Amino acid sequence: MGRSKLFELFFFLSPMILIVVLFYLVPLIVSLYASFTPTMNWNLKYLHDFIGVYNYKRLIHMMRYDPSFKSILETTVVFVIITLIINIIGGLLLALGTFFIREDASTLIRVIWLLPRMTPVAVFGLLWYYFFHNSEIGTLNSILMKLGIIDSPVAWGQRIPWGAWGVIIFVNAIVGVSYGMLVFSSALSHIPRELVIAARVDGASNWEISRKILIPMIKWHIMYATIWQLMSLLLTYFHLYPLVAWGIVNNDYGSTLALYVYTTAFGRGRQEQGLAAAAATLLSILGVSLGFLILKVMKFEEMMREPRGDL
Amino acid sequence: MHDIETISKKNEMIILLALILAASPIIITYLLLILSSFSEEMFTSLSLSSFRPTVVNWINVFKGKTAITGGITVNIWHYTLTTLLVALGITGLVVLISTMAGYALSRMRFRGRKKSMIFLLLLHSFPGVSLIVGVYFMYRLTLPANPLALRFYSFLYVILARGALEIPMSVWLMKGFFDSIPWEFEWSGIIDGASRIKVWKDIMVPLIKPGIMAIAIFAFLAGWGDLIYVRTFLIDPTLATYIESNLEVEFTHLPLIAAVGTFYLLPTIIFFILAHQLLLKTYVGGIKG
Repeated sequence: MGRSKLFELFFFLSPMILIVVLFYLVPLIVSLYASFTPTMNWNLKYLHDFIGVYNYKRLIHMMRYDPSFKSILETTVVFVIITLIINIIGGLLLALGTFFIREDASTLIRVIWLLPRMTPVAVFGLLWYYFFHNSEIGTLNSILMKLGIIDSPVAWGQRIPWGAWGVIIFVNAIVGVSYGMLVFSSALSHIPRELVIAARVDGASNWEISRKILIPMIKWHIMYATIWQLMSLLLTYFHLYPLVAWGIVNNDYGSTLALYVYTTAFGRGRQEQGLAAAAATLLSILGVSLGFLILKVMKFEEMMREPRGDL
Repeated sequence: MHDIETISKKNEMIILLALILAASPIIITYLLLILSSFSEEMFTSLSLSSFRPTVVNWINVFKGKTAITGGITVNIWHYTLTTLLVALGITGLVVLISTMAGYALSRMRFRGRKKSMIFLLLLHSFPGVSLIVGVYFMYRLTLPANPLALRFYSFLYVILARGALEIPMSVWLMKGFFDSIPWEFEWSGIIDGASRIKVWKDIMVPLIKPGIMAIAIFAFLAGWGDLIYVRTFLIDPTLATYIESNLEVEFTHLPLIAAVGTFYLLPTIIFFILAHQLLLKTYVGGIKG
């Protein structure tokens, strides 16, 4: 490699490398180190106090005896599994549905579903704050009261466990469904149209066309999106935060492990960064394992063709 | 492709109706927010008697009142400006870094190229929440003492920390955009003896303008809409922290908050109207096959 080429490479890559080192690698090491200290309330003096795996032992102890932490783990499992199923099936239905309709209508539908993902997190939280509000102004309560199903307003998110789970699953599915929808729509648009027309001429219904032709042809995409969503749901906490912080849902049954890490480190009252960092380490191990799984599934070699004309 | 030639009209209408019905919670909640901002009472209850049209909420927002009674005022334009600065900072950072790195990863042959792409994907699978704890430690360890410098530093930090989250995916997308440009464009420059930096700047960057535009919009909306990072790092308040800190206080007038929320939502709506085709196409650009 020539000297000038080395310089050019350095020029193009150094800003990215700098950010990755300063905002991924160094914080990671710091956080890993902090998990072996009793750091509290951001008092950095605790960083000198090395206590070994005490925080990890505490987490294991909490897993067995702390009802609050147990419900958070339970919530994480239920939330991830159910939201994943809804997101994938919902995304598939939306992609198939928009496949069968006019182009302009299908664009409109996809834009509507993409909107929640791009909406400011605080505004999105605000929408559901009003929707699930525990008084008459709550849209859900108001609808149910008009239908005569309930007599007085109910604090749905405080009903544990399924009320709180229902709210967090619903709100996150509204954001999450669009990912599967976009991936599947793009995959469907590459299927040769002759196949669909031929099946239609043979008298196949939409359902038969979907089941026998379209879904089998995008199998790989479904698998890929499933693992990707599994990872995102496990790690997400942006959209959960306002629901819990603004009292829309119960804290123990509305928080997942990722949000627990955030509130333990930055929440109101006593903040325990050492413990949070230990929980974060466990979460990172889970996340990266899923990352490796994605690599296995992804057609990586195909995407990484050698640059052909690099002189 | 869309299956429009062979499907019957009636069939298509049924599907369209089902899709609209499925999207109705989204349409309704957004509409209720916007309508409530123009009403004396929250219209979220769906009872027509609670909808009494007024623009007083909007006037109060721009006057900077946080409640209809009481004398607390804030400068909403100051909040908007801080939000905008964070969003623009993140946009600039993400666009610059991904355009540079994406080019090298797409067009230059070097050892570790494939590994870098794998590494970026793994970074993306890293929990943001583990990072934010570590990043905040770094922030606390490096705080300047001077209050003015501190204020500036918190801006810089929130931009870098939040922007960093967007980097892996943006570099992947940008590499994809560069991959789609024929080599012939680049050869013409290289054969003339121009350096790769000059070729990148003069030939390639103008060619992938739509890609840059898409990355910029995504980064802008991510920065504009952020709540967690600004509330954690930033000393100055933004629109997001305004909503958060005023929602749960006793004197809150909810329609006023709805007006702030609608105001805060405007750029998202504008970008959606102007660039939805670009956004829909780009979102899956990173994953082909």
